Amino acid sequence: MDLRFPPRTPLLQAFALAGLALVVGTLSNVVASGQRRLGWLDSPQAPSVAAHSAPTVTPPEALLPAPVRPAPAATPPLPRPTPKPPPAFPPDPTNPVREITTAQAWQAFQAKALFLDARRSADFADGHVAGAWCAPVWEADVDTQITIFEATTKPATQDPLVLYCSGGDCEDSHMLAGKLLKLGYRNLLIYRGGFPDWVEQGRPVQRGARP
Amino acid sequence: MKRLLHPWLTVRTQIALGLVFVVAALGKVADPPAFAKAIWNYQLFPAWSVHPVAIVLPWLEIFCGLALCLGLWVRAATSWLLALLLAFTVALSINLARHHPVDCGCFHLGGPAKTEAERLVDLRWAILRDLGLMLLAAQILLATRQPRQE
Repeated sequence: MDLRFPPRTPLLQAFALAGLALVVGTLSNVVASGQRRLGWLDSPQAPSVAAHSAPTVTPPEALLPAPVRPAPAATPPLPRPTPKPPPAFPPDPTNPVREITTAQAWQAFQAKALFLDARRSADFADGHVAGAWCAPVWEADVDTQITIFEATTKPATQDPLVLYCSGGDCEDSHMLAGKLLKLGYRNLLIYRGGFPDWVEQGRPVQRGARP
Repeated sequence: MKRLLHPWLTVRTQIALGLVFVVAALGKVADPPAFAKAIWNYQLFPAWSVHPVAIVLPWLEIFCGLALCLGLWVRAATSWLLALLLAFTVALSINLARHHPVDCGCFHLGGPAKTEAERLVDLRWAILRDLGLMLLAAQILLATRQPRQE
């Protein structure tokens, strides 16, 4: 084999071109900003739960706190502590990742559930659900963003987290669910309609970079 | 046939094909995550390969395109580009056959959302474009082949 430099045969030249691309590609990825960088060994994975299945629709009534029965008029009110209302979106141990409807997403928003935006950070800056956290699942610093989110909001593993992306066939929110499942979260609600649906419904949005 | 393989035509074909690939690669180099997402959407590649391909492939396109424009290592660069075009055409055809309307990710990454019908039309055009580019690559390979030494 002729190993002189520069390579003479087309086969060696082809290897040289591939090697050059490998070296320069790796270097450019190392020096890129977190929003433009990819992890070599990170592989995108969506959880097997409900990734392509039909949304698991829970009737909104079932998600609401149980109505409190009025006490009979004859009974004098007792000075008891007010019981804490049941959570609006209780965790389902058999189904930690569920898809929710537009109405349920709005209900979760009103119940002050935490929202996580799985789209690219540039899309997030263009507009996002008011109060949502940026967790761009395709960017290398998504783990840092999740750590900041956890450190700031300190969510319990059973707290409902609403994840969304661009709607349609977008799988980013499912991928983010896969990451959060590994971190132990067990009440992940995927808003299938995503941000376009939120805007269409006229719900509150915010612009600007990551909080 | 001799006219089709004339050096005058071959040089221009090299420059045209080289420029197409350099231009196509610039957007991918600028935003590897968007390109990785485009590859993932094809649902043809194993998950572990998506990021390495998204990092290396655009640079391979750039170096091969530059080599063609500069007239260096022409056969090696053209062979790579022909192999890439073949792979792109197969990937697009498979997704077209299974009615899975993916964004091509060839030149423009991201951009406004398109309907499924629009994306299926785009897929057909992308396959036609790749076939045309494969003809250009074939012209270069035929014109630059070495005469057999008896």
